[in-house]
Amino acid sequence: MKKRKNKKIIIKVSDLSKSFNNNIVLKNINFQLLEGESLAIIGASGSGKSVLLKNVIGILQPDKGSIEINDTEMVNLPRNLKEKVLLDLGITFQHGALFDSLKNWENIIFKTAIREKLNKKQGKQLAFSIIKQLGLQPDILDLYPSEISGGMQKRVAIARAICGNPKILLFDEPTSGLDPVTGSLIDKLIKTAVRSVGGSAITITHDMASVCRIADKVILIDKQTISWSGKPEEMFNSANSKIQEFIKSINSEVLFK
Amino acid sequence: MLEFFLDILGTTGKKFVNFVANIGHFFIFFCNAIYWVFKPPWYLKKIFQQILDIGYFSLPVVGLTTFFSGMVLALQTYNGFTEFNSESTVARIVLTSITRELGPVLTGLMVAGRIGAKMAAEIATMRVTEQIDALGTLGTRPMQYLIAPKIIASLVCIPLLVLIGNTIGILGGYVIAIYKLNFNPSLYLYATMEYLQLIDIIQGTVKAAIFGLIISMVSCYFGYNASKGAEGVGFATTSSVVISSVMILTSTYIITALFFG
Repeated sequence: MKKRKNKKIIIKVSDLSKSFNNNIVLKNINFQLLEGESLAIIGASGSGKSVLLKNVIGILQPDKGSIEINDTEMVNLPRNLKEKVLLDLGITFQHGALFDSLKNWENIIFKTAIREKLNKKQGKQLAFSIIKQLGLQPDILDLYPSEISGGMQKRVAIARAICGNPKILLFDEPTSGLDPVTGSLIDKLIKTAVRSVGGSAITITHDMASVCRIADKVILIDKQTISWSGKPEEMFNSANSKIQEFIKSINSEVLFK
Repeated sequence: MLEFFLDILGTTGKKFVNFVANIGHFFIFFCNAIYWVFKPPWYLKKIFQQILDIGYFSLPVVGLTTFFSGMVLALQTYNGFTEFNSESTVARIVLTSITRELGPVLTGLMVAGRIGAKMAAEIATMRVTEQIDALGTLGTRPMQYLIAPKIIASLVCIPLLVLIGNTIGILGGYVIAIYKLNFNPSLYLYATMEYLQLIDIIQGTVKAAIFGLIISMVSCYFGYNASKGAEGVGFATTSSVVISSVMILTSTYIITALFFG
């Protein structure tokens, strides 16, 4: 078993490169996510953060490189085996990706319902227990995603990701479009989800306040590569110009209080 | 001058290669979809929803179209055959035209417009909003969950719709023959039953099943491979209706030639 400082490597990305029609998006990306660690990936819009996440979960195939999740090599892994690995992951997509034809409670328990054959009552109860943590009212459960606000949709998507207590959580911009109070609530939830189940999380975000609240480690993607990585507090002493641009917008004293 | 011809050759060649590649891509999608149609578990709730949508909710439009087609056919045939044995001729032509061609083709075209467009738009929207990607990460195979129920429901419903459409079309012809052309009802019904051939029913049902396969496959293919946001959804929807309709009209000739050629 691979270990570093007694912590298991949950996700290991090595020399990953990805391009679209000769347009290089990611080049030689290397990083690791350790057990119990919360990793934030930051970068400008279009820098390839979501592409990186889609490579990790197998939606996109990297041009070269390796992706290991719990010691299983994901690149070129047969579909049925890949699905088994993905079942241990909770994922939110940038735009929520809730199923329009299903009610919110059906969306939330989608994966768990398939695994555990829940009936309607059990399913609704499970969905209710999750949305309570996210500050959502129970009356949204019987509505369709199109009938609730964008911020609520985001929270339902997060509820879907954390349903079943997966040990690996991947969030693509979970707080974008949310008000600061709800954003802070989501951050706490991510932190709790990571700590309570001993899980690990990768969060893609532009929100530096969120980064400071949830991350144990930060990586910055710039010009197709990881141009900086370190702890959140180290960002403030970094000479990296891009990091400086990112932290200009925040007041560190307020954040770390 | 040479450069101009090379340009034309290059563009044509590229389009041809793309065309062949698309056919290959469609063929792979087709085989994959057929595999998932037979692979359990089947999502019965989804199949039932599709049956309701494709079958039950298409009935009014199919019924209306075939009813008026039967009426027009009776009227036009009568005008052309007044000097012959009208009862027998009108009944025979209405029956044969409806069961062999008009019933299946009109039903196919109506369903392609109503259901094919809906299927393509729904799946394309799911594709461009990452819902299909999400399905794949939630322990579900999109082909099995999304595509297979639509194909199964189309294969079940469209033959049934055609049988119902045929009956309504023949009824349309009967209504005109009896109430407008003043034919003898007994003679007309006798002529209809006399000329009713099992092979016509079989051929119509085979056509309907093939049209069901065409509509569902083409619509799902364009929806599943949609890209470029709202524009992609529009393209998928239009393409699915146009290609399905062209394929229906082409295949109806091939099936007719196989049965009666």
